[in-house]
Amino acid sequence: MIEISNLSFRYREGEDLALRNVSLTIPSGQFVGVTGAAGSGKSTLTYAINGIVPHCYPGDFYGAVRIDGHDTAETSLTDLSRLVGSVCQDIDSQMVSSVVEDEMLFGLENFGFPKDEIEGRVTRALADMGISDLRDRAISSLSGGQKQKVAVAAILAMEPAVLVLDEPTAELDPASSKGVFDLLARYARIHGTTVVVVEQKIALLSAYADRILIVKDGGVYLDGAPADVLAHADELRESGINCPRATSLANRLRARGLYAGPVCRNVDDAVAAVEEVIA
Amino acid sequence: MIRFDHVSAAYAVQTPVVRDASFTIDNGEFVAFVGTNGAGKSTTMRLCNGLLKPTAGRVLVDGVPTTELRTSDLARRVGFLFQNPDRQICCKTVREELEFGFRAQDALTDEARARVDATIERFGFDANAEPYLLNRGTRQLLALASIIVMEPDTIILDEPTTGLDFHECEKVMGAIADLHTRGKTIVMVCHDMEVVADYAERVIVMTAGEVVASGPTFEVLRQRAVLERAGLIAPQVVDVSLRLVERHPELAGTPIATANTLDEMVAAIEAYAAGAKEAAR
Repeated sequence: MIEISNLSFRYREGEDLALRNVSLTIPSGQFVGVTGAAGSGKSTLTYAINGIVPHCYPGDFYGAVRIDGHDTAETSLTDLSRLVGSVCQDIDSQMVSSVVEDEMLFGLENFGFPKDEIEGRVTRALADMGISDLRDRAISSLSGGQKQKVAVAAILAMEPAVLVLDEPTAELDPASSKGVFDLLARYARIHGTTVVVVEQKIALLSAYADRILIVKDGGVYLDGAPADVLAHADELRESGINCPRATSLANRLRARGLYAGPVCRNVDDAVAAVEEVIA
Repeated sequence: MIRFDHVSAAYAVQTPVVRDASFTIDNGEFVAFVGTNGAGKSTTMRLCNGLLKPTAGRVLVDGVPTTELRTSDLARRVGFLFQNPDRQICCKTVREELEFGFRAQDALTDEARARVDATIERFGFDANAEPYLLNRGTRQLLALASIIVMEPDTIILDEPTTGLDFHECEKVMGAIADLHTRGKTIVMVCHDMEVVADYAERVIVMTAGEVVASGPTFEVLRQRAVLERAGLIAPQVVDVSLRLVERHPELAGTPIATANTLDEMVAAIEAYAAGAKEAAR
C-alpha cells in the first residue's frame, strides 16, 4: 500500500512547488494510471514514491510518503528499491550492462536472490515481455522499443510489491504497448502488485487502469475510475489531455441527443454505444 | 524524390535489419512508416539521408545514389529529426541552435539570420534560453525548428511525438503539416496510429525488415490482417467502423463502413439513425 499524506515538494533549483499538498492512498494490487500535461508534476510524483525524492533530488520536502508502512524519507534507497521497482523515462540512463542477460541479472544478483531462483525469474520475465530471443543481444544493438522492453523485464524479474513506471511505452509499437499493459494488469491481479504508471496514451490507461489520476500544477486534479474521469472531457482538454476517440465519439453522439448511456472507455464500449443508437 | 531499389542494410555482423526493400517517395508526399519495434523503420530513415549506406541495392535521392553523395550535401536536401531531441541539440542558446546549420555550412548570411528571427517568432521561442533547460516538448520543437529553418526539400522524422503531451503533439504536428502544405516531402516513423490517421497521406508497413504493405493511409489501416501481422492497432474510429460491419453485415455499403474520422463517423451514424426512423414511419 502507498500512503501519501500532505506531500509538497520544491526542487532546490526550482521556484514553484513541483508537488502541492498531495494526499493519496493506493491499496495493494491497484492499477493506477497517472497522466497530465508536460511539467505538471507526474514524474516528481513517481520520484516521491520510489524515494528518488527526497534522497537524490535535494529540496524542500513536506508531508510523508509510506510504502507498506515504511516512511520513504527515513528508509534508505537500497531498502526502498526492494519494495519499489522503477522504470525511468530515460531508458539509457537505467541500463548498466552491455548484454541483455547481464542487465537482467544485475538487480537479482545485487539483491542476493537465491541462485536457483534466478534462472527461472530471468526466463519468465523475458518470456512475459515477449523478448526471450533478445537474451544474448548487445544492448547497443537494440532499438529504442526493444531497450524499453528489457528495462521493464529487468524490473519485473524482481517481482517488487510496488511497480512505478514512467512512460514505459513511449517508444513501443501499439501491440507491444498493449502487451505491457496486459502484463501490468496481470501482475496487479495475480500477484497483488501495486502498479503506478505514468502514461500519455490515455486510451491505454482508460482501457486498463482501475483508477486514473490527472495531475495538474503539482496537484491531483481528477481522481477516479476511468469512466468517471473521462466524463470530464472539457477539463481534460484544458489540462493537455485528449480523450480517446472512442470516448469522444460517444460524447458527440450524446451531445446530439442520440445516446444517453454511460461514458465509453474503449472501442468495445463505443461499438456497443453505436449499436444502441442504430438499433 | 527518394527511391529504394532492392535495398538491404545491416549493422556490423548481424543479420540484415532491412531486407530487399523497394519503394519510391515522390516530392510533396506525406508518408508514414509503421510497424513493430525492430522492424527496420529507423534504419530505413537513416538510409534515406545517407547516415547509413545500403549493403545491397541502391538508395537514390533525386536520382543520385546516396553512396555517391557526401552526407553534408545530402543533409542540405534531407533534414533529419532524431527520435531523441537531445541527440541533436548542441548549442548554448536557442538562437545559436537555430543558426548551427548555417554556421556548419559557412552560410550564416543576412538572409539566414532573418530566417532564424522569423523562426524564433513563429515558434514563440525565447532566443536566449538555454536549450537543455527547456521541457521535452519545447526541446523537440526546437530540434524540429532547427531543421525547418534550413528549408530542406525533404524532412525525415523519427517518432516526432514520442513523450509529448497532447498540446505539444498538436504544436509539433501542426508545424509539420504546415511544411507539407508548403510542398515539402515528409517522411515519418510513428507509433501513434491516431497521429498517422490525422496527418499521413500514405502508409508503408514494415515487418522484420521488409516492406509488407504500402498505400493510401486508410486503405492500409483498414486491413486487419496487415495490421495484426505488423503489430499495429487500427485508429479507434476505424476500429469501431470495422467491428460494426463485422457484427452487422447489413451496414456494409453504408457510410458507417467507410467512416475514417470522428466527423465522418458521427455524420454517418446520425444519417443512419435518421434513415431508420424514417423507415419505421
